[in-house]
Amino acid sequence: MAKTLSLYVERNTFIHRVDSINKILYVLVSVAIPLILPYKFVAVLLILISISFLLLAKVMRRVIPLIEFSVIILLSIVIIQGLFHAGNKTVAFHIARITFYKEGLSYAFTLSMRVINILLAFAILVLTTKPSELIEALVKKGLSPRFGYVLSSALQIIPQMMSAVGSIMDAQRSRGLETEGNLAVRIRAFFPLIGPVVMGSLIETRERAMALEVRAFNSREKKTFLNERQNLRSDNVIRLILFSILSLSIVLRVLL
Amino acid sequence: MNKRRLWSFSFTTATLVLIPAAIGINYIGKLFAGVLKLPLWLDSIGTALASMLSGPVVGAISGAINNIIYGLTMDPISFVYALTSIAIGITVGIIAYNGRINTLWKSIIAGVVVAIVAAIVSTPLNVIFWGGQTGNVWGDALYAYLIAHAVPVWIASFLDEIVVDFPDKIATMIIAFLIFKGLPRKLILLYQSGETIEKLD
Repeated sequence: MAKTLSLYVERNTFIHRVDSINKILYVLVSVAIPLILPYKFVAVLLILISISFLLLAKVMRRVIPLIEFSVIILLSIVIIQGLFHAGNKTVAFHIARITFYKEGLSYAFTLSMRVINILLAFAILVLTTKPSELIEALVKKGLSPRFGYVLSSALQIIPQMMSAVGSIMDAQRSRGLETEGNLAVRIRAFFPLIGPVVMGSLIETRERAMALEVRAFNSREKKTFLNERQNLRSDNVIRLILFSILSLSIVLRVLL
Repeated sequence: MNKRRLWSFSFTTATLVLIPAAIGINYIGKLFAGVLKLPLWLDSIGTALASMLSGPVVGAISGAINNIIYGLTMDPISFVYALTSIAIGITVGIIAYNGRINTLWKSIIAGVVVAIVAAIVSTPLNVIFWGGQTGNVWGDALYAYLIAHAVPVWIASFLDEIVVDFPDKIATMIIAFLIFKGLPRKLILLYQSGETIEKLD
């Protein structure tokens, strides 16, 4: 069985069984609402909702590696904006002789909430949905099956190339290629390492294309699906709830 | 030999299988840049190669799908930067179509153009999501310095981005050019002469 690149965590929870299209809608709604209602508590509320869904899906621990990188940037934003933001006037506090300002910190807080909200909403999607199911759902919704193939093929090709990379690294090192040292040495090492993998994968596309052609890849017959998914009533209810929340926030925006 | 039309939206099987390969190459480039601790990203070599082989449309799609895959498997925020990848794909495609990437010098100039385009597209995204920062230590240090000296956020953010993009995109285009030069001719013809593959019968 080919390995696929994925963050999916197998658990048997209600969240995992929700239709993938609904999870995409959830992401869109939770990205849209803070833009429609730009108040800090709205973003905080959405973050809390996403966290509770992640807890329900029992995947909270897997969220950390996913948001780690962004959180480091956010910390640097808090520092830089807290110190240097253009509108800085009110002093918030001092650390040693360095002064942090309220306006900058508040701006950094707004940005952080916005980013964390997006990250967590996406985390629900990527941690509880199998990529293959997601692609199948999209194809059922009308995405061209040829592009469905492109997506799932991309997920498979990366692990394949990674294993090729492992053997090429070993092969080149055994021929005496230096991969550690000063910058010039490391730059020189880049080509012998990346060259064979990249050439190989591009040349392979020719064979892959032919292999697909002889299997009627371009056939215009209607495609059938391997997995038939029953449309659960709960899926429709969730969709309805998401749309009403979105409409409600638009109404609030107009009224307020 | 008829060249493919520049803005062709008809995808042959060959162009479709090129997209996953391009994404894999992007990934490998980023991986090696990390392993060798190079101060660059090198994560758009594949997109550039797809554009050089198959034109701006396929390049743009490779870029977009690349960021979707990254978003689904590593860092969700990269969904947003799909816009930058699309712009890179289109730019390289147009330059390559007009036959301007056939010497080392021209690939360097192409790199400069790509860097400017990428920075123009990324800057608004950086301002919206990160208050103008990029997450790169050198770029952000410059940004902090500029902001502290009352330079407008947009300019500071653009400079923050371009400081990183300049060396990165130039290196990317040189690498893509060297790889492209080494590809067998039958492969290049497969992509540039139109519908060859569909005439198997």
